[in-house]
Amino acid sequence: MAPDDWLTLVCLLAAAPFFLAGSIGLLRFPDLYCRLHALTKADNIGLGLVVLALLWQVTSWSEALKLLLIWLLVLLAGATVAHLIARNALRQGQKPWERP
Amino acid sequence: MPTADLERTPPWSWREASTRLAFLTGLWLLLTGADAGSWVIGGPAVLLATLLSLRLRSPVAWRWRPAGLLRFVPYFLWHSLRGGLDVTRRALHPRLPIAPALVYHTLRLPPGPSRVFLANTINLLPGTLSAELQDSRLTVHMLDAALVNVMELQRLETRVADLFAVSLE
Repeated sequence: MAPDDWLTLVCLLAAAPFFLAGSIGLLRFPDLYCRLHALTKADNIGLGLVVLALLWQVTSWSEALKLLLIWLLVLLAGATVAHLIARNALRQGQKPWERP
Repeated sequence: MPTADLERTPPWSWREASTRLAFLTGLWLLLTGADAGSWVIGGPAVLLATLLSLRLRSPVAWRWRPAGLLRFVPYFLWHSLRGGLDVTRRALHPRLPIAPALVYHTLRLPPGPSRVFLANTINLLPGTLSAELQDSRLTVHMLDAALVNVMELQRLETRVADLFAVSLE
């Protein structure tokens, strides 16, 4: 394998645990608010690493820009949606879980 | 700044419209790889998006300071990584080390886009989730409401003020 392929492999392997942790957090965390933390933060960095992995494989500048654009758009959408879900839950009166 | 000013969208100028049109055209070119056939959809979409963005734009004038952006990007990337690692550690730890609480943060940023930007970036940084933005109060859900994390929130606000070239109250 070429060095670029190794770098891609390393970045992809680094990304996987974040997605796994995001899903485990979704199952283990006690309430909606905590679960949103797990999903937004772990998946964003996971996707960032996937994008970084693919950047070693691009053949043109426009491809690289497109990949970065995709990451930025997902970041923006993820942050906005997390805020809206949390806001709605708060307005409906859902109390955050507290350590007993 | 009085609220009445915030609710009124000022009339747009041709200069502003052409900047937005150019930006959105560039975005479409990038996404479609300059495929000529795509303009059947792209042309109307870009035009409508331009009009919509003019209609919805902030009544408060804003800009990003280029030097502030250069300072903000590495800060943001580093703390996003920390945020991912932090939540990963907590989710996988057998004892689930979290002590969540709601924190009410009084904003020092002026009303306008910088506040919305802060609320969005908070979601990606370690242990903080913005749950409500109302007037000058930001409700933040913290995964671990320790004092260090509250102080981090204030540091982020300073960074955003630097990026938007605004002063904190």
